[in-house]
Amino acid sequence: MFPQNEHIELHRKRHGQRLDHQERKRKKESREAHERSHKARKMIGLKAKLYHKQRHSEKIQMKKTLKMHEQRKTKQKNDDKTPEGAVPAYLLDREGQSRAKILSNMIKQKRKEKAGKWEVPLPKVRAQGETEVLKVIRTGKRQKKAWKRMVTKVCFVGDNFTRKPPKYERFIRPMGLRFKKAHVTHPELKATFCLPILGVKKNPSSPLYTTLGVITKGTVVEVNVSELGLVTQGGKVIWGKYAQVTNNPENDGCINAVLLV
Amino acid sequence: MALYNFKKIMVVPTSKEFIDITLSKTQRKTPTVVHKHYQIHRIRHFYMRKVKFTQQNYHDRLSQILTDFPKLDDIHPFYADLMNVLYDKDHYKLALGQINIAKNLIDNVSKDYVRLMKYGDSLYRCKQLKRAALGRMCTIMKRQKQSLEYLEQVRQHLSRLPTIDPNTRTLLLCGYPNVGKSSFINKVTRADVEVQPYAFTTKSLFVGHMDYKYLRWQVVDTPGILDHPLEERNTIEMQAITALAHLRSAVLYVMDVSEQCGQTLEQQLELFNNIRPLFANKPLLIVANKCDVKKISELTEEDQKIFADLTAEGISVIETSTLTEEGVMTVKTEACDKLLAHRVDGKMKGKKVHDVLNRLHLAVPAKRDEKARPPFIPEGARIGRKTMEVDVPKRKTERDLEVEMGDDYILDLQKYWDLMNQDEKYDVIPEIWEGHNIADYIDPDIMKEELKVKDEEMQEIRQLAKQIREKRKLKIVCSKDKDVHGPRLPRTVKKVERKTLEKEMGDLGLDMTGKDDSHYAVNARRSRSVGVAKKRKREASVIPTSRTRSQSASRPPRDQSGVRDPKMAKQAKKLMKNQQKDMNRQGKKGEADRHVFDLKPKHLFSGKRKSGTNDHR
Repeated sequence: MFPQNEHIELHRKRHGQRLDHQERKRKKESREAHERSHKARKMIGLKAKLYHKQRHSEKIQMKKTLKMHEQRKTKQKNDDKTPEGAVPAYLLDREGQSRAKILSNMIKQKRKEKAGKWEVPLPKVRAQGETEVLKVIRTGKRQKKAWKRMVTKVCFVGDNFTRKPPKYERFIRPMGLRFKKAHVTHPELKATFCLPILGVKKNPSSPLYTTLGVITKGTVVEVNVSELGLVTQGGKVIWGKYAQVTNNPENDGCINAVLLV
Repeated sequence: MALYNFKKIMVVPTSKEFIDITLSKTQRKTPTVVHKHYQIHRIRHFYMRKVKFTQQNYHDRLSQILTDFPKLDDIHPFYADLMNVLYDKDHYKLALGQINIAKNLIDNVSKDYVRLMKYGDSLYRCKQLKRAALGRMCTIMKRQKQSLEYLEQVRQHLSRLPTIDPNTRTLLLCGYPNVGKSSFINKVTRADVEVQPYAFTTKSLFVGHMDYKYLRWQVVDTPGILDHPLEERNTIEMQAITALAHLRSAVLYVMDVSEQCGQTLEQQLELFNNIRPLFANKPLLIVANKCDVKKISELTEEDQKIFADLTAEGISVIETSTLTEEGVMTVKTEACDKLLAHRVDGKMKGKKVHDVLNRLHLAVPAKRDEKARPPFIPEGARIGRKTMEVDVPKRKTERDLEVEMGDDYILDLQKYWDLMNQDEKYDVIPEIWEGHNIADYIDPDIMKEELKVKDEEMQEIRQLAKQIREKRKLKIVCSKDKDVHGPRLPRTVKKVERKTLEKEMGDLGLDMTGKDDSHYAVNARRSRSVGVAKKRKREASVIPTSRTRSQSASRPPRDQSGVRDPKMAKQAKKLMKNQQKDMNRQGKKGEADRHVFDLKPKHLFSGKRKSGTNDHR
């Protein structure tokens, strides 16, 4: 009663196709270009935006392949033939970097380390003002007292954290905004891992935020890297490393950081 | 246990389509406008709604996939095994498991982001959170690409599997490839299985249905099995093995006597012995096919011995040829009988049968006395039965005549006509006579009508009717000839004089003397006494001003009854007009018009005005 298994192919084998099948197929394929252009012209709205974007990327691909085909036919300049360190004729007179420069660079770096300036991926970050990070909470019988503050950004509190009694706590860190894990990228391996946070090392906007544990863009946090299995020269296992946050966690709902090697 | 319908599983979309559909649905079905200056809870609600809507859609769709696809533990073991053979149980379960995980992940994402959005204090922040949430959900779906593709393929194949009922009466065909199993099923049922000379033409199970003893039987055709151990069998052969293992059926092992399939009889016997364990508890039959090429009696001694051995073991061997159809019916009847007996035996041994047997009682009437009372068969039935049984033609048919006369034969049906006058049989009947189509006037009851005409009374009545018709036609012609200036008035408007009435009726033959106290005369006298001038001559075309002339005086028209003077008449008319004002204003037809007009039909005023349609609906 119901057709079984490969009934479509069987029918085609037994009865062949329509007499005008090839012609119809050919005509339909040739009409495709017209129909596509008609569609592209008449579409409006969000659908059109998405379609045009997709079509644009398709066209780029087509152009690339065409260019590749053309390249085979023409001769290209070969860049590999010039050896390393080769210098054009008008620069032959100059000397390379001298030893003096190297020494002075080393001294400068030592001075920077002593000062405590670290080499981080994001050296300068926009400072977050207090009104942005802390929201005023009014309390009291007549809602006049305004000494409580609520943190509006993502924060980290340790494992052994307990709140102060609610009557006395000045800074409220809501549970919904407490995060424990960060997505950390290793800059050389280009791989991302989800690692637990150990603590907030420094928040560039203010030391108050560091003590509160507020995590904003540019904050340096310490993460637990025991997963990665790094080992020191001496044979000890590294289990904590610094990473700098690269996104705005309160807007994205997650903490993305880059490991500082 | 959920009932699965393999043919009604919803289409599984590809991951890209899935994402597109859900996102565009969210964009269409949730509000799209939000501004910075709205209250923050309204902004939050707007974006939370979008996140939850997307999550709901994904969840619903994925749940539907999970419920539609059959769980291998819930279906009949035959189908479970078949699906394992075809689709690999592990892969199938993994794919469904991945979908389940994805569903849970999406739910978690939505929960997290909705929680975060409660702390959103600006439109920008809420918008970014919603963007992150939707992006996360779509990434989860992107990862399911492989699972979704696999499930779509499984669905397509599953919907085309033959519907084999594992519990009903089944005949299962098995044997080497190319021995004639598909030809057999084509002969016995209406299934149209492909038959080709190369091996493994049939690559999966096919089912056909046939009738025997007023019952429905399934015949299952399997792909051929080769002789190697179970581990080395490929997917195609495993389907046949699965069918053999799980279906409670009669097994028909088909052998090729002429060895045209490429295997010798010894090899076929080898295979038979190897799969013997699968035939346990099943009625078995050996079909020796292709006997039109070579009969068993034409075989060598050793080969004949094989068959003799099999018969000695108690397995019946039947010679068939699917080409000439000899033996096919024998196989069918024997296999069906064996299976029925087997099934009945099984049922008798079971426990349930006692419930039924205890209630059955065959009553046989006891003999009252020694008088013989044989069954009474009426004469007509006896003759009928005799004519049915005996194969003698009762009368010479036209076909026989045709065969006898050969080329001289002409089909002459007019000799069978039954007419009153037998000479008229071969008369030519015209088709059109006097401009009329004779076929229109044929009346099956014409004989009865003819007999009626012979009656004397009827003749008189007909005569009279004819006269009346003629006179009527004349009158019509006369009236049409009259040159009337103005509209033609019906006869009832004018008054009919007593004299004219009596004259006309007298002409027709009625006795009109002494009619002074008849109804029409009395009325005429009465109407005269109302008080209108008697002898005013009027022309035929002028309408009498008052209708009381032609009607009885006791019935004045309604707008004049009870009205004393023109002043009152005017007032009455005014009242009438006043009452009609309301109705007229509302365009009503009258008092009883209660029709309610639909001034704002819903279909013209509802729905979204999508882009490109703002100036019309």
